[in-house]
Amino acid sequence: MLLFQSEEWIDVWCKRNNLERGEVLTITQVWELSKLWYHNRLSLDYHGRSIEQVAEIFKQASLTSAFWHGTG
Amino acid sequence: MTNDSLLWQVRAFVYNHFADTTHPPSVDETAQHFNIDIEEASALYKELNNRHAFFLQPETLTIRMANPFSGIRTDFKVHANGKTYFANCAWDMIGIPVALHSDAVIEAVFTESNDSVQLEIKNGQITNYDLLIHFPLPFAHWYDDLVFT
Repeated sequence: MLLFQSEEWIDVWCKRNNLERGEVLTITQVWELSKLWYHNRLSLDYHGRSIEQVAEIFKQASLTSAFWHGTG
Repeated sequence: MTNDSLLWQVRAFVYNHFADTTHPPSVDETAQHFNIDIEEASALYKELNNRHAFFLQPETLTIRMANPFSGIRTDFKVHANGKTYFANCAWDMIGIPVALHSDAVIEAVFTESNDSVQLEIKNGQITNYDLLIHFPLPFAHWYDDLVFT
């Protein structure tokens, strides 16, 4: 995941790499996602996640477009 | 083939070793910690890699990524708890203070412009809230090429 200071720089990067734009989130949105995703990463009880658990995290972070679906 | 209880203990050991030292344990260190032979520790590392619990450098037993932690230097440097960690990407630079449950000062480099930026996580709040993070690939393809992702 790549850090940018503006939408314009994202367009420059996509054009230079001949790639379609993916999804762009504000750092505040990613902060909220991170809290759901990483809060228990050091725990012995963390054994990874199922696709359904990942989908629930994305839903809680209001990430509901097809981009965030578990299957292509 | 593997003892799942030991498997997850090894996973937790790797992560907590990262948190304590900023780098991953070698397979020798892990074998010594659990009083098992290197062959068994190697098999556990490979199994955890297969389960996406962490990721080895190809054809080696060296841990490259235990997200959010990076085993190599990157453009995302995280200062927390008096230590300096490297994150795998812009998302993971925020993930490290979450995983550590700590404040942090982050030094990062913007993609494309190569300008530097510093941001801070303090008391559960993040500064520089106007910055943007681009996810180039949809979730279904994140594990196709993790370095690119």
